[in-house]
Amino acid sequence: MKERKFVYPTISFAGLLFVLAAMWYAASSQNSPAVYLLLFTLMAVFLVSIPHTLTNLAGVTIALQSAKPAFAGEEVSLPVEVMNESRATRHGIDLALSSSGRERKRVDYIPSGKAARVTLQFPGGQRGEHRIGALCLTSAYPLGFIRFLKKFAVSQTYLVYPKPAGDLQLPSSRARSADVRPQADFGEGDDFAGVRAYVPGESQRHIDWKAVARGQPLMTKQFAAEAEGAVYLDFSALDFSDVEKSLSQLALWVIQAERARRPYGLRLPGAEIPATVGQSHFHQCLRALSLFQSIQSDEEEHE
Amino acid sequence: MSKGKSRSWSQRDRSIPRRPLLWLAAALLFTLPPMFASLATWIPCFFLATLAIKFWMEPKGYRLRLAPLKLILAAMALVVIFFSYGSLKGVEPGVSLLVVLMSLKILEAHTSREFQVIVTMGWVLCLCGFFLSQDFAIALCLLVAFTLQIAALVQFHRGSSPGAFWPPLGAACKLLAQAFPLVVLLFFLCPRISTGFRFDFRDALSAASGFSDRLSPGSIASLASSSDIAFRAEFPDSKTRPPGPMYWRGVVMWRCEGMEWRAPYTPASLAHSSSVGASSARRTEFARALPIQSRGGKAIRQRIALAPHGAHWMFALDRPFEAAPGATLANGNYLWSVQPIRKPRRYEIVSSLESTGKELQPRERKAALELPNSISPAVRELAESWTAQNSDPHVIVNNALQFFRTHGFRYSLSPGEYKKNDLDQFLFQRRVGFCEHYAASFATLMRLAGIPARVVAGYLGGEYNDLGRFFLVRQADTHAWCEVWLPDSGWTRVDPTSIVAPGRASLDLNSFLDRRIASGEMETRRSAFVTQLTRLAIFTNIRLAWETLNYQWDTRVLGFDADVQEALLGAAGIASSGPFFTIAEILIVVTALLIFYACWMQLRTRSRTDRVKGLYERFCRKLTRLGVRRDPWDGPSDFSSRAAQLLPNESKRIREISNTYITLRYSPESGTIAHDTFAKQVSAFAAHSC
Repeated sequence: MKERKFVYPTISFAGLLFVLAAMWYAASSQNSPAVYLLLFTLMAVFLVSIPHTLTNLAGVTIALQSAKPAFAGEEVSLPVEVMNESRATRHGIDLALSSSGRERKRVDYIPSGKAARVTLQFPGGQRGEHRIGALCLTSAYPLGFIRFLKKFAVSQTYLVYPKPAGDLQLPSSRARSADVRPQADFGEGDDFAGVRAYVPGESQRHIDWKAVARGQPLMTKQFAAEAEGAVYLDFSALDFSDVEKSLSQLALWVIQAERARRPYGLRLPGAEIPATVGQSHFHQCLRALSLFQSIQSDEEEHE
Repeated sequence: MSKGKSRSWSQRDRSIPRRPLLWLAAALLFTLPPMFASLATWIPCFFLATLAIKFWMEPKGYRLRLAPLKLILAAMALVVIFFSYGSLKGVEPGVSLLVVLMSLKILEAHTSREFQVIVTMGWVLCLCGFFLSQDFAIALCLLVAFTLQIAALVQFHRGSSPGAFWPPLGAACKLLAQAFPLVVLLFFLCPRISTGFRFDFRDALSAASGFSDRLSPGSIASLASSSDIAFRAEFPDSKTRPPGPMYWRGVVMWRCEGMEWRAPYTPASLAHSSSVGASSARRTEFARALPIQSRGGKAIRQRIALAPHGAHWMFALDRPFEAAPGATLANGNYLWSVQPIRKPRRYEIVSSLESTGKELQPRERKAALELPNSISPAVRELAESWTAQNSDPHVIVNNALQFFRTHGFRYSLSPGEYKKNDLDQFLFQRRVGFCEHYAASFATLMRLAGIPARVVAGYLGGEYNDLGRFFLVRQADTHAWCEVWLPDSGWTRVDPTSIVAPGRASLDLNSFLDRRIASGEMETRRSAFVTQLTRLAIFTNIRLAWETLNYQWDTRVLGFDADVQEALLGAAGIASSGPFFTIAEILIVVTALLIFYACWMQLRTRSRTDRVKGLYERFCRKLTRLGVRRDPWDGPSDFSSRAAQLLPNESKRIREISNTYITLRYSPESGTIAHDTFAKQVSAFAAHSC
């Protein structure tokens, strides 16, 4: 990971300069050694705080974990481990996405040899693959008049899936007769049939909260209603004029099908994913949707 | 693994955390003492109330929001300040306004950035404190406030780190300690570039403190309870207290009005009345004084640090030889500052303990014999009874002293009031008085007896501080004595008080009174317990040490102004090349010191694994020189086998070093092998093979 370092004054530095100037004026116009002493003490304390600030980030590095994919409109969580490899406890470290980013997280302290896990959350933006770009560690400790910045160039990317929207009914079931149960009940039949892993983006109504309380991961309660065969979600079968709308519809269907544990496949122009079910398949489909014809838009966003 | 909490920035920015606010409040409390001493009482009270309210508001999320309300409060404060002081000009109203505005700002502040602003304003309050007073005690208070403000900032940036008291305070003290060499450097060497515009804040001082140019019954006794410092004096030529009573000459009074004596309004006015040019009169006396100095032994050099009193008096041991800079030597050998003394002033002066001059000018004789008409026949009769017996001035003086000794005169701080015919009342009826009564009446009697006499007012004694080797003279030590002209010895000091109160001359007034109280001669002024307590040795020592510190602060720090600095640097040959060159030199030194600090801190906190890694990299570089290059994907173990194969001669050493490295880096028992051993192995490796 390449790193670059900067030092810059904070806004409070202007206040300090003003006070120093006022003290200097008072001291020189009154020829008062006491005021000079105060002026020089303040100046010296500020000067001495500079090396403290500069060394406060020495030995502090970051390790990125992979960002969990998010749906468009949701926030992306990026877990970052801030490690202190020095022999001193480090204080008051801010982690930010870029130098001017508002998405800042504060780590109050990291003991020597330890690490702090910080989760940066920021709006994911449009669907597609995004580069993280740079991460900044900054610190103004101890006095806050100057800030030291360590910028890490990060090559890692994160995915934003299309926002699920549109018709809840899966295409094949829509083709069937009207006497079949309405789609809203799909996968939510009366008979409890066990639990499965929670899929991000789906309704929280059926999460097994009792299991969560016991310390288990998020699980969704399943109700017996799965009898249908494989369904193919076909991009070209949709008649939306807007590509994004189609992708949103497909994303919603992928979620619905996965939730219903019904094997599903995806047909996109130039690509086909065979029908099956499961977490990796689910993410593979959403990834394909998110990356669909999105190369140029991705470039625009990260100038 | 994961320690330490993280919070989102915006949440943190919405309110000021409690811990740094507490530190800040503690710091601001220490800026209050100078305010209570000098400002209208409601202002520090208002400030305190604001702090209390802030602590109540902050957890509830309240704050001063409405802009009109803020404006109204500020305007009200302005009006109240105007009515408190009667004006808005001057230091006190200015500082008051600043304090009030700062209080409002504290009520308003709610973000972290504003916290930083408040701390910065706190430093301005320290500055204001120095405007109001520059006492050593105040300076200590402000130093504490300053330190606590740094601690508040440190705590603010530490957030929820463990340890809310010692760690931030320790960090603040560490910063101050590291800043200390810089402060010393800057204070002594940084050129005090003048803006060319000097104004003086402290000119509100009236001439009320200290004595006046007139001596009337009760005028000195009123000062006897004042413990204000008049001046401090040290003797650079001697390491011990000079022997004998210390009479500090202040002003010579020529004009007699019975029990009242006056000094000329300015020293020149006497010279006019005697129709001699003021300066020439002074010069002649000065010229006559000079030979005494060459006699040696009798001249005493003093360095005097005078507290500001608003008048023109300057003090020196009896009979200064020559005027200090900015002062003239007035007729009667006393110093008279050209400018009123509104700032602490230091000067060096040489005095003689012997009488100077053997001649009395006719005009002076006339002035020294002038008498008012109001003297009663009884008093005249008394003086004439002495002259009738013997015309020798020595005998007359002794007779007069004998009169005071034998007629039941008493020395008292509270002699009561003398009204009309005060001289008669004092001499024949009540016979109770303080030094001014004795000096005035004695001098008047001398003039009646035809002996030229004058009254000298000044200080007697003072407390000698063995620790700091200086005299501390307080207002309470004010004294008045007489000088009479004797043909063979010139102006001779006669202190009638010493006849009535033997022992006063060798002690400062308070110790003298304490002694009298202890021996039952006087009614106590303080409770016996307090008197006992203050006489304990440890308290005396603490007091002496404290006074010495005060003196050092006043002379070493407060005395080191631009002029003194210029003289010192000029003497040392440092500032010869102009202020900007000096600043450049200082900048270089400061930068070097900061770089040193930075490197030192970096080295001290660098991790051990970094060192091991660095050593291993050195080892790899050495192997590269020998022809074995380590690729990024080579693990240390694989690399060592490969290198050992390629360099069979060194294989043992390579394996050894690699194994040590692996243990140090990856083994849980890494602590068992000292890093130094590894360092030695690595260095030895190169030495053998290259």
